[in-house]
Amino acid sequence: MRTTASRDAETLAPPSRWRTVLRSHSAMPVVLAVVLLAMYLWVNSLQLDEIERRVLNPDTLLRMLGQHLKLTAVTTVIVVIVAVGAGILLTRPALRWLAPAATGLANIGQATPAIGLLVLLTIWLGIGFTTALIGLVAYALLPVLQNTIVGLNQVDRKLIEAGHGIGMSPLAVLTRVELPLAVPVILAGVRTALVLTVGVATLATFINAGGLGGLIVTGIKLQRTPVLVTGAVLTAALALLLDWLGGVITELFRPRGLD
Amino acid sequence: MTDDVMISLENVSKSYRGQKAPAVEDVSMTIRRGEIVVLVGPSGCGKTTTMKMINRLIEPGSGRITVDGADVTSLDATELRRRIGYVIQQVGLFPHMSVATNVGLVPKMLGWDRRRIDARVDELLDLVGLEPGQFRNRLPRQLSGGQQQRVGVIRALAADPPVMLMDEPFGATDPLTRDRLQNEFLRLQEKLQKTIVFVTHDFDEAIKMGTRIAVLGEQSRILQFDTPERLLAAPADTTVAQFIGAGASLKQLNLRRVEAIEYDEAQLVRSDESPATVLRRLDESGDWAVLTVDGEQRPLRWVGPRDLSPDQSNLDGVGLPVTTVEARATLHDALDAMLTSSCGATVVVDDAGRYRGVVGIDRLMRVISEMRETERSRDRGVTEAPYRPPVTPNLDAATNPGGSR
Repeated sequence: MRTTASRDAETLAPPSRWRTVLRSHSAMPVVLAVVLLAMYLWVNSLQLDEIERRVLNPDTLLRMLGQHLKLTAVTTVIVVIVAVGAGILLTRPALRWLAPAATGLANIGQATPAIGLLVLLTIWLGIGFTTALIGLVAYALLPVLQNTIVGLNQVDRKLIEAGHGIGMSPLAVLTRVELPLAVPVILAGVRTALVLTVGVATLATFINAGGLGGLIVTGIKLQRTPVLVTGAVLTAALALLLDWLGGVITELFRPRGLD
Repeated sequence: MTDDVMISLENVSKSYRGQKAPAVEDVSMTIRRGEIVVLVGPSGCGKTTTMKMINRLIEPGSGRITVDGADVTSLDATELRRRIGYVIQQVGLFPHMSVATNVGLVPKMLGWDRRRIDARVDELLDLVGLEPGQFRNRLPRQLSGGQQQRVGVIRALAADPPVMLMDEPFGATDPLTRDRLQNEFLRLQEKLQKTIVFVTHDFDEAIKMGTRIAVLGEQSRILQFDTPERLLAAPADTTVAQFIGAGASLKQLNLRRVEAIEYDEAQLVRSDESPATVLRRLDESGDWAVLTVDGEQRPLRWVGPRDLSPDQSNLDGVGLPVTTVEARATLHDALDAMLTSSCGATVVVDDAGRYRGVVGIDRLMRVISEMRETERSRDRGVTEAPYRPPVTPNLDAATNPGGSR
């Protein structure tokens, strides 16, 4: 009996989920490392002029990367809180009728061209980090909101009823049944939002909120290809890295018993 | 009598907005402690709605429902449901939780400590024959359909609720598994004595599981609420008779056990005696055959006069082989054995296979007509069923229940 039990435990709850996930997702970091290294070697081999050197140094690059990450991270946190929260409320029986209106509203946020949205917000709120943040949040809200609603609605009604039927409180049904089973869909939305945000955050530089967009704008305006390429490659690499991270997290948080 | 009532429905109705006809209209019924009441009826007749109003998964529209004396609407719905076990059709196990977590959900919500929950889970797994060490940590999808169903049942039993609601709990399993689950559950119920409301659309299941059966029509109208015996013997009207379907008499045989009827006696002759003894005994008794038995009184063969020739010295291998049934078998089994044996009688034996008596086809016929007679007369003198107006049995249906087609 002992052996059966331990063998079962092993096959049923693989302790090495981390390892399997990382193994199946190992290609992307390698590719990114190679690309970044190639770019570094290329930039290093060039004779940089004064303007280029002022931007392409570790301090400036890290500062811009930091700003970009901060914009992305804060946006994501706010989006997750707001959109998942709203998604939960909009799938409760009492508020379900509001869902179409709410997704419609979020749709407007996303359908408006990002740059236009930022400019409009600036006219209203002035330039700076907060304005950029609000614009980004408005922009990234929809995928998370929509996926939260879809994710919660696709949970088998029979299971929810079973939960209520055996005496789980509505909150317990939500946290122990609905949300865990909706996690893969919600996280897919978050992942989309994350990648969107990294891209759109390059526009923050227009309203003086920093970020890697600065490199791209400088590169275009002053016709400095190395600066432009560095900005573009760093942004793309960041987006791909976060997408990869999102994939890993989705895999790790996928509820057992569904795969 | 009132102490006996566990669940009562008084003039309960439920209508949905936008629907002209109510889903459930004016249902009244009392369910006694420890009985299994089966709600049976065609799909969409409101039987599930009626059941769900008891634990308020569907709020009662009007009328009064009490469980153990308390009006359900006066209790917090969640608290109420923790005291009522609930088993649903597609099992409803949470796919992302282990068997142990699923089963331990209600005790956990009731605030049991971990050790007590673990012990309870193991005890329940044992109860339905699932080895805890092997099954505790499995996920639902790693179980067979029958195993999932068992876990569904013990999840409902986890906090030992006095009342259970079961919505076609064995509906999704194959006939063989279903039969086994039903038997297991009945055996469990003998021990547990829960009050159970059981919904099904399968009349045979109703007959098998029910202490009493409520046959429901449109809008959950109670067409007849009776014991399986009386339902089969005297259907209230043609609708009920049609629903019971053909073969009501055969189904009735499933309800009575061999031990409940009187046995006939056969002339026993030990197999080592001479043919002459057999002939003498046949003469004395006037029977058509004697039953040969071995030294342990285990029946061997039927031996009639024509099986014997004067030059035979012993009884080895003469006569017809016997078929036997145990006392616990149903009359249906007995009939089957009689038909198999081709001599219209079967021998009742005890656990060790020893002779107890004989049941012949004539005896069976008498028992059937007696059963029908008593059920019908009891039905006319109905006194203890305020929930149902006294019924004049439809003559066609009563004399030939279900067999009119």
